[in-house]
Parts: sequence; C-alpha cells; structure tokens
Amino acid sequence: MHAFPLQSDWAFVLGSLDLLFEGLVVTVALTAASIALGFLLGFPAGAVEVYGRGPLARVVETAGVVLRGTPLLVIIIILFFVVSVSSSAFVTAAVALGLRSGAYQSQIFRGALQSVDEGQLEAARSIGMGRLQAIRHVVVPQALRRSVPGFQNEFTIVLKDTSIAIVIGLGELLTVGQNLYQGGQSTAALEIFLTVSLIYFVLTFTTNRTLDYVDDYFTIPGGEQA
Amino acid sequence: MSDPLLRLDDVYKSYGDERVLSGVSFEMDTGDVDVVIGPSGSGKSTMLRCVNRLTEIDSGAIYLDGECVTDADTDVNELRKQVGMVFQDFNLFAHLTALGNVTLGLRKVRGMEKSAAREKGYEHLEQVGLLDQADSYPAELSGGQKQRVGIAQALAMDPELLLFDEPTSALDPELVGEVVDVMRDLAAEGITMLVVSHEMGFARSAASDIVFLDGGEIVEHGPPEQLFENPRADRTREFLGRLRTEHEEG
Repeated sequence: MHAFPLQSDWAFVLGSLDLLFEGLVVTVALTAASIALGFLLGFPAGAVEVYGRGPLARVVETAGVVLRGTPLLVIIIILFFVVSVSSSAFVTAAVALGLRSGAYQSQIFRGALQSVDEGQLEAARSIGMGRLQAIRHVVVPQALRRSVPGFQNEFTIVLKDTSIAIVIGLGELLTVGQNLYQGGQSTAALEIFLTVSLIYFVLTFTTNRTLDYVDDYFTIPGGEQA
Repeated sequence: MSDPLLRLDDVYKSYGDERVLSGVSFEMDTGDVDVVIGPSGSGKSTMLRCVNRLTEIDSGAIYLDGECVTDADTDVNELRKQVGMVFQDFNLFAHLTALGNVTLGLRKVRGMEKSAAREKGYEHLEQVGLLDQADSYPAELSGGQKQRVGIAQALAMDPELLLFDEPTSALDPELVGEVVDVMRDLAAEGITMLVVSHEMGFARSAASDIVFLDGGEIVEHGPPEQLFENPRADRTREFLGRLRTEHEEG
C-alpha cells in the first residue's frame, strides 16, 4: 500500500499530456469531419422531409429512422468489420458518426424549416419567386438561425461519441487514455479518466459558448415576428 | 385594346364540400380601383387569391390582359410578376430589413443589380413614407409601418394590378389611417387595385366600383354612390345596414 499513490499517478498523467494531446487532435478532427458530413447529409434530408414528395422523401425518411434506431456502436462495427467502407479507422469512424449525425441533424432542420410561418413562403411566391428560390432566400435563412440551439446539442453529442471509435482502435482521446494505463505502466486509471473528461468538458463548453455568440450575432433585431 | 385588364369568367371554387365561389364573373380595367365587400366567409379573399393563383380555381377562367392565366401551362411566376399582393398579416420577410424586403424581389426575380435595386427600393419606401425606416427589421416596426412596407414591396415589382387582402384588418384602429392614406395616394396615381376591405371611407372616396359578394356570388356590382345610396338587392341593403349599425355602435 502506497501512502500517497495519487501523487505519483497525477505525475504520470502530467507526463503523458503530450500523448493525450495527440488523441485530442484526432478527436477534434473526427468531430469536425463527422459534423460536416452530418450537415451535408442532414440539411438536404431535412428539406426533403419537409418539401419532398414521393419515393425520395420515403427513402430519406426510412434511412433516418433506421440510423436513429441503431446503436452507434453497431453502426461503427458494421462499417468497419462487415462492410469495410475504408481500411482507415478514422474514415470509417467519420462515416459512421457522420451518418448518424446526419440522421439527427435532419430532424433539427426539419423542425426549423417547419417552424417558419407558411405566410413567408406564400409572400415570396406572390412576388414571382419559384418554389426553390423562395425556400432558399426566405425560408432557409430563417430556419438556419432557429437551428443553432439544436445544433449545439448535436455538436456536444458527436464530440463525446467520437470516443466510440475506441472499438476499432482509432487513437482518439479516450483510446489514448485507456492505452496509458492498460499497458501496465501505471495504476492511474481514475486520474486519466478524470483528465480526459475534463478535456471533453472544456471542448464542449468552449464550442457551445462560441455557438452562443454565433446565435447572438445572427439574431434578427427586434425578434422574429413579421 | 378592348380587353379588360382582369376578367373572371364563371369561376367556381370549393374546399371539400364547401362551395366558396359560385360562378363569379367580373371585370375591371386598367386604372380602376375596385373594392370587394361582403360578410366574412363570403369568398372575398378566395376570389382575390385565385387571381394570382395562390388558390387554384375548380372551373371557369381568369384572364389578365386578355390572356387566360388559369391554364395548366401558364407560368405562375410570370403571372405573379404582373399581379402584386398585399396580405392581411403583412407577411414581411422577418430576416430582412424594410429595404431588404422591398429589394429581394427586384434582385432575385427581376435580376436587378444590387445598387439599382436599392435605389428603386428607397424610391418605393419614400412613396409610402418610410424612408427613415429603411434599415429597420419587421419586428421593429408598428403594424401600420409593416403594412406600408408590404405595399412598397408589392409596388416595387411594377405590377399591372395590385391585390389587397384586407390590408387593415390586422391593425390597431389608430394605425388604419396611415395605411388607408397610402392606398388613397396610389388610387389617385392611377394604380390599378382590387381591394378586399371593410374600410367604407376608402371605398366611398377612392373606389371606381364596389363589388358586393355574398355566399360566393356577386350580388351587386356598381359605382359607390349607386351601391351605397341605392342598393338594388335586398341582401346588399341588409349588409350595409348591419355594417352601419356596427359602425355607429363601435
């Protein structure tokens, strides 16, 4: 029994910060790639769910339901070991997280698009705008503003869920942390997890604050009642 | 040249089982200001919305400048460039300033350069007395100001015909005057207007013709002095009587 085991464990964590930093870089890159892919899929999907008809709308809706109803762990394992979309663990993780995020983001944008008053579209059409033009210039700018709070939530979820890439051996933050104590070099499991958690917290906190500023910046003066 | 600017020919429209327009025929010429009156639910707004095809008719036909605009192959966007609309609930674009509201159509529909669109936008804001509010967003404006921006927005497209769908019904009573004044100015300038409204003052002084619509039919159609002073139909008399009583009580 050590008298003060914590001291040496914290020293070990401090000595491993460079490795944790490498994991952090992977985590940030994976989050950015997944959110971006999710936006590219989710925004059009949300629009199709609101404005689309026919088979395309049904395909998009079904894909969303399946993706939202499947555990992320299952998605990532299938993509890596069964379908093998890429030999790169990073790419596979980004695709898995991006698909899942796209399914969630589609609902954020669906809600935001639907929340814009029908009269806005009607007014745009009545000055001779085509349907797509009216959606693009009148509905979307308002809907994007309203989607920021939902987007903040989604960002936080994706950031922390990047840790699931541990199951395919991607060296992101949590994987790096786990490797540090699993090699038997240290007993600092708790300290490492606390440090990793703190890093996740700082990341989510700062991005959420940044998105708060984005929200304020784009807020329409006087509110939104037209 | 002999074609009327707008002609409705035996127009029918139902929502489900409920018939809203029942064989409406009507015409007006360029420069006319026609005011449609009638009890609520009589089909006034529907009649207006059929003209720019926000609502599709079931049968009959509508002609603008002698051309049928209710054919399946009519380009509705082209039609709507010719026919402006002012809404009861304003429907200003919430994310754009007053100037942005007036210029959006100029830029995206008319394809005007930004600077030219701004210049024209300022012109029309001045026309409705709102040059000083050009940079205000809709939520920063009063109801009357919003509606004047709505009018400027429609005017900016240089339509052949302007439709007004109860433009003062959503306004506080003290704000009605400023909107009616603008409409009066437009009428005096010779802008062709088809107006659904209960503003009898405006109807009396600015209208070339009054159309009384009841139960989806045009009951009576004539100049204001005739329709208000010597209505031919009992239904018109009844309606006007009711309106006067309400007015006096109010």
